[in-house]
Amino acid sequence: MSKRPLLSTRNLRKVYGKRDTRFEALKGIDLDIYEGESVAIIGKSGSGKSTLMHLLALLDKPTEGSIKLNGKNTSKLRAGKLNEIRNKEFGFVFQSFFMNSNDSVLNNVILPLKINGVGFRERRRRALEALRIVELDDKAKNKANDLSGGQKQRVCIARAIVNNPKVIFADEPTGNLDSATGERIEKLLFGLNKKKGITLIIVTHDQDLADKCDRQIHIADGKIFGENTREDVDLEDFDGDGDNDGMRDHNTTKHIDVEED
Amino acid sequence: MKILDIIKDANVNLLRNKLRSFLTILAIFIGSFSIISTSAIQAGVNNFIDSQVDSYGGEGYLAIVAKDSFDALEGLQGAMGGNSGPMEYDPDKIQTGMSPITDEQIEKLKKVDGIDGDSIIEQKSLNITYVTSKETDKKYLFAAEALPPGNVKVDTVTGRGLDLKADEYQIVLEEKYVDALGYTNEEIVDKKIQLVVLDEYTHQEKIFDAKVVGVIAPGVVSMGQSYTNNKLADDIYEENTKYYPEEVKKNTYAVAANYDYEKYSVEEIKEKLKDIGLSAMSIEDIIGTIKSFFDVILTVFKIFGLIALLAAAIGIINTLFMSVQERTREIGLDKALGMSSAKVFLSFSIEAISLGFWGSVFGITVSMILGNIVNAAFHSEGGFLEAFPTFNLATYTISDMISVTILIMVIAFLSGTLPARRAAHKNPIDALRYE
Ligand SMILES: Nc1ncnc2c1ncn2[C@@H]1O[C@H](COP(=O)(O)OP(=O)(O)OP(=O)(O)O)[C@@H](O)[C@H]1O
Ligand SMILES: [Mg+2]
Repeated sequence: MSKRPLLSTRNLRKVYGKRDTRFEALKGIDLDIYEGESVAIIGKSGSGKSTLMHLLALLDKPTEGSIKLNGKNTSKLRAGKLNEIRNKEFGFVFQSFFMNSNDSVLNNVILPLKINGVGFRERRRRALEALRIVELDDKAKNKANDLSGGQKQRVCIARAIVNNPKVIFADEPTGNLDSATGERIEKLLFGLNKKKGITLIIVTHDQDLADKCDRQIHIADGKIFGENTREDVDLEDFDGDGDNDGMRDHNTTKHIDVEED
Repeated sequence: MKILDIIKDANVNLLRNKLRSFLTILAIFIGSFSIISTSAIQAGVNNFIDSQVDSYGGEGYLAIVAKDSFDALEGLQGAMGGNSGPMEYDPDKIQTGMSPITDEQIEKLKKVDGIDGDSIIEQKSLNITYVTSKETDKKYLFAAEALPPGNVKVDTVTGRGLDLKADEYQIVLEEKYVDALGYTNEEIVDKKIQLVVLDEYTHQEKIFDAKVVGVIAPGVVSMGQSYTNNKLADDIYEENTKYYPEEVKKNTYAVAANYDYEKYSVEEIKEKLKDIGLSAMSIEDIIGTIKSFFDVILTVFKIFGLIALLAAAIGIINTLFMSVQERTREIGLDKALGMSSAKVFLSFSIEAISLGFWGSVFGITVSMILGNIVNAAFHSEGGFLEAFPTFNLATYTISDMISVTILIMVIAFLSGTLPARRAAHKNPIDALRYE
């Protein structure tokens, strides 16, 4: 593939702590992720999956190595630009739901838009639309804490898509859910990937979920030790536009602009 | 994030822990209450004193005596145990008793730059035996003097002011006489009352029919005096002094004059008068002592208020640190989703400022309610301000309210910076892992 990757890491290292507590969570990760693909980062607990995802999502800074977004080195970006990218281009589904449990479902979904400064009516409209996609619009007024685990995860997905992102990072999106609920969440995520061309980066230790992604990156002990691609990718017309061009339809996927403005 | 959203969220967050916020606001309330209350009392006292100053002679007024008389007074004070110890008697330097102001000195005074020569009047003490009216059989002791020169604003309750140059006898009557003489404030205007002077030798009564042209509220400076126009004062003085030898009659011990207070400071004028052997006192000198007495007391209370605010500031710091701790995950989420550190800082600062704002509004409101109750109680029958209807002990000015609120909001903001900084520096990843 000659195409420029959306996200590209070279020799990515992350060290936590100092001296006695020093721990090298990532030991040199080289990874390219392309627009519109779905990538699973799979590995055992403690292997460094979440750490890697946080670095890719620009939530944290690597100890060493580079992360390029659309070919641009992210270490050169100002904090304000990083905030803007996370706010407008990325969607997050965190490992433990991570929402304001005392607030209403609607307010939780609205949060990224509120931070972005979207006006009251507009953000409400878009949040309700996102809730409709995850089929929870009837729960908009409920307190987030009162929902079931599966419903909470769907609220998190609604929050992740409310800003119409280009990339969704999902950390164990089906982790604590029963298999039926898990499947529903998976369907939602892959549907977004295929219909909207949203790049999907899923962190999981579940092989079944990983198998549904275009690519699986296996990590163990902070290193990539293998990668496999799903063979049938190029034969199917995932995005449903009839041109059978594989799922990476670059005309429909979105470009992230990292130029400073 | 929009600033309005931040302000709204800050107040929602304060409501999330109502008791804690309430207690913090209560601490601020105590500080706010004591500061605004002392300011109100200070404003009330100052207003009162200012209105008294105006009723006496206003700005530019000078009471002038011979320098020797002034020194004699000071010496007397020293003898009575001023803090400088008793003064030694020195026949060359100190005379006891009053020294007259010479005609020569008056002429010089007229020419002093900054003194309005036309305003100079002799201050004559009038000896009136009693006052009565056609509506009563009773006779009352009475004190009056000619209205001092200058920008006199007689604090009249009803009626108009004096026409100083009028050819008839006019008087502005102290309010407490109105009822005693059998009238109401409205009725008495333009009625004549009788000022009676007893002849010391013949014991015959000489009656002056004076037209009441106004009623004044009693005041501290006027000390219950009424004011006459020049003609009435001159004629009563003439009657009082008709047996005096010409030389004594001619003696002047005190004059009043106006100086140009816009061009000269009172100190400059005093210097100039010293050169011609005269001493002057401005109205501020006369009542400055009263004012400084109140100022000392009120400053002490204000310091108490500030100490209370300092304690409240620590309360704010504590409350916000707890709030930051509790909301670690929430802050982490906000930051993960792209909120800038500056906005996080701002949102906690606004929370602190809101605490300050509500505390100060609460304090001002309660103080105003109590202030009005106290004002009303003091003015009611038997209240200790019954005699001073124009004096409100607590006077709330918009500028005081605004400056107290701003002061408290600034203190609250400063106390909030510490916790707000901690919140702003939180790392979203640490927050994500925080349980
Ligand atoms: N802030 C930190 N300080 C010290 N060590 C950390 C920190 N964060 C993570 N680690 C360590 O880094 C390693 C990788 O953590 P990470 O959360 O990436 O694992 P993971 O692969 O996501 O595991 P899981 O599947 O259980 O979520 C772990 O051994 C963890 O203890
Ligand atoms: Mg993890």
